[in-house]
Amino acid sequence: MSPFPILSAILLCPVAGLILVLLTPRKFETAIKFLSLLAASGTLVLSIILCKIFNTADPGFQFVEHLEWIKSYGIHYSNAVDGLNVSLILLTAIVIFCGILVSWRVTYRVKDFFANMLFLVSGVFGVFMTTNLFFFFLFYEIAVIPMYLLIVIWGSTNKQYAAMKLTLYLLLGSALMFAGFLYMYSLPEARTFDLLTLKQNVHFSPPIQNILFLGLFLGFGVLAACFPFHVWSPDGHVAAPTAASMLHAGVLMKLGAYGILRVAVTLLPEGARHWAGLIAVLSLCNIVYGALVATQQKDLKYIIGYSSVSHMGIVLLGIATMTTVGFNGALFQMFAHGIMTALFFACVGFIYDGCHTRMADELGGLSKQAPMISTFFILAGLCGLGLPGMGSFVAELLVTIAAVGTYPMIGITSITALLITAFYVLTAVQKAFYGPVNPHHADFKDLDWLQFVPRAVLVGCLIFFGIFPSVFLNWVSLSTKILLGG
Amino acid sequence: MNLFLFLPETVLLAAIVILLCLTLAKKDYGTPVLGFFLPALGAILVLASFSSLPHSGNLFSNAYRVDPLAQGFKCLIALSFFFTAILNQNRLSIPFDREIEYGIFLLSATLGMMMMTGAVDLLALYVSMELSSYSLYLLASLRQDRRSPEAGVKYLIFGAAASGVFLWGASLVTGLSGTTSLLEISGKVPVLIWQPAFSLGLVFASFAFLFKLSGFPLHFWAPDVYESAPTPVTNFIATASKATAVAILIRFFMLTGIPGVFIAALGALAFVSMTLGNTVALVQQDVKRLLAYSSIAQAGYILTGLLAGSFAGYSSSFFYAFAYVLMNTGAFLVTSVVAKTANHDNPRLSDFDGLAERSPFLALLLLLSLLSLAGIPPLVGFTGKWILFSAAMDKGHWFLVLWGVLNSVVSLFYYLTLVKHAYLEKPVVSAPIAVSGGTRWLGLFLIIGLIALGLFPNAFITFAQQAILKGAAL
Repeated sequence: MSPFPILSAILLCPVAGLILVLLTPRKFETAIKFLSLLAASGTLVLSIILCKIFNTADPGFQFVEHLEWIKSYGIHYSNAVDGLNVSLILLTAIVIFCGILVSWRVTYRVKDFFANMLFLVSGVFGVFMTTNLFFFFLFYEIAVIPMYLLIVIWGSTNKQYAAMKLTLYLLLGSALMFAGFLYMYSLPEARTFDLLTLKQNVHFSPPIQNILFLGLFLGFGVLAACFPFHVWSPDGHVAAPTAASMLHAGVLMKLGAYGILRVAVTLLPEGARHWAGLIAVLSLCNIVYGALVATQQKDLKYIIGYSSVSHMGIVLLGIATMTTVGFNGALFQMFAHGIMTALFFACVGFIYDGCHTRMADELGGLSKQAPMISTFFILAGLCGLGLPGMGSFVAELLVTIAAVGTYPMIGITSITALLITAFYVLTAVQKAFYGPVNPHHADFKDLDWLQFVPRAVLVGCLIFFGIFPSVFLNWVSLSTKILLGG
Repeated sequence: MNLFLFLPETVLLAAIVILLCLTLAKKDYGTPVLGFFLPALGAILVLASFSSLPHSGNLFSNAYRVDPLAQGFKCLIALSFFFTAILNQNRLSIPFDREIEYGIFLLSATLGMMMMTGAVDLLALYVSMELSSYSLYLLASLRQDRRSPEAGVKYLIFGAAASGVFLWGASLVTGLSGTTSLLEISGKVPVLIWQPAFSLGLVFASFAFLFKLSGFPLHFWAPDVYESAPTPVTNFIATASKATAVAILIRFFMLTGIPGVFIAALGALAFVSMTLGNTVALVQQDVKRLLAYSSIAQAGYILTGLLAGSFAGYSSSFFYAFAYVLMNTGAFLVTSVVAKTANHDNPRLSDFDGLAERSPFLALLLLLSLLSLAGIPPLVGFTGKWILFSAAMDKGHWFLVLWGVLNSVVSLFYYLTLVKHAYLEKPVVSAPIAVSGGTRWLGLFLIIGLIALGLFPNAFITFAQQAILKGAAL
């Protein structure tokens, strides 16, 4: 037990913020925004401290917290970090901090909006830090439900359909998880939901590993937007309000990939090896299909939505290689993609608010009119197509190296998909930001300083980890080795 | 005789006598009785039930067994009665000249239910079951329109048929074992279970309880009765009556065991209940009918836990019954207020339009209750479902568990549809909804209960386990 429960403190910040926001009367909108910002800053500061004091030489769990919860069912409130989740906690903190700042311009039902955001992010933090399957599931669903309200109340473009689709898909995935978790618990040598105890005490026989892994993979895969269960994600991203899209594409989709690593691969390594080929094929579908569909989209948000599907494919491909390099690449891609999509959505949201359209054809010439927001979007785009010096370059490189080693054909095909990515990103950039200025939105104003800060923070992170990837790789590499039984 | 063993029942008997005397008076005391007497009595009843919680013993020549299991469920029934008494503030379709009668039948139904939880003699069980059932038949047909008597008669006929089947089963069991006492029958089960007639008797007897739980194939009454009864009565049927059904099913299965073949049959019934309830609920427009189909689905979940037939299965069913009362009361509380505002006692989905603008408090309560029914954390329905299904999984019913969770996802569609009406649609009338004092406090209590018990269930789970342990010890 560490002297100061830093993980619980990170979790408690948004929870306390949520309670305070709920207690604040509805008319004090600025106070509500500042309270939310305070909570988000608190988690950000604590997460940065966590990353600073995180011991990269220790492959096991650190900062372990443990509390009996429901004794007779082996349910403990227990948190810990290792290389797998330390970066994701930081990612969540960054994205929520920027998300709150980006939402400063929300005017409709301010209190409900920020309460939902804080509630959602509490769930995300919980999933990332818990080591008990009961709490994993609990926090997972806490992260899903506010999304429904965020989309249905503050969303746009076919929001009712998208919100219901998203919620039902994600809960369908969680139903498989639920059954899988309960099955593990019901084994006579288990009788606990504690991840570590399960790993130590229970050896699952190969056929059981295969079935359980498939179930859990499908469950988590829905959230990770694995082909063919990705259909909820572009619709959901498009319909959600800006900050919710940021959190959703930036962080929520990572929950699925994290779950695959943390639960499915950790507990069922043989099952993972058994199905690795299938995952590789599915992830290739993600990469190629997502990119191809993105080339056909006119709406900037749909382009980003499908590019997310494509990029999550890279994460899954990294996992499918079942090598340390692949895992490192997958984790790096989760982080880089999280920051990058958050930046994308932050830019598109701002443009949509000002121009009232997101169609690439209808925009045009924004770079002259609003140079700052254009620069941010173009930077995100360059990151998306894997420009060296940006975070995702390193990530994609690692995954591709691992993939070419394990599955040469799939690895090489995935490289060609990068060309498609370059094509659609550059086309969109060209249409929206260059060419003649469209007079319809001649009065579009560029970012003010308040809106500049969150986007600058995101770009800063992308570049920082692009130039110093070793910082990130030091966090993860020991833990991923352990994961493979090294 | 220890008075505490029979304290809640004594309170109820005394209250019934007082109300009977009041009916003789020339002056009409209906309004004060419903407005003040019943809520106050509810509070006293809750206090009485909780204060007698630690006491246990046998009464009336061992026909009546008061143990933590019975006492726990009595508390639950007392709470449902109290909640219903508060919801009476929003009553709409109870005729003015029948208000005292309404009170009497409510009390007698509660009395019957409480006695059912403790009855361990087939005859005592039958008598208390009929006492509660007949009171409920009358309550369900109180409303003065053409649909209400129809629902009442449907309820009566189904109920009477279920009672008949129970009597048949009970006569087989009694005939083969030579006694009506469940405690004595329990000792003879290992020998008699090999006789097909005995197993058949047990199955028939438990069918009557399935009727109370509104599980398939004895669910037909539920949609009509839920729809046509006055909303507080619907709430009472949906909470107290269901809790009693769970109590008696636990007691009965625990004493007699579940015959092997019957487990498979119960599994099939649970499967159909969940599927049927959830799919039919998808297309409902009348909110009370929707909640009725949701309760049929919930009966399927509870059966999944019960048919595990294990310590964990019974204790988690107990926990779930408690969760069930809380979340259903929440849903019906909002329904009753909306009905009152819309001035007709069958609110449709569209009557919930814009509830979040008209009363954010009620909308929140509705949201939490429905999400809890759908089993979404961190609410009590989630924790309940988790332990319920883990008990079933222990016994290898993985398919039912998987099916149950998938069903929860389906159910979320119609729950969210209602939420959508409350949060998204624009209201026709945008005047704020006034929530009266008692209803507001109850709503607050429910919100806190739903969240607190969902997050910190340990104490209650331990209590439920103790109750089952002591109930099992003969």
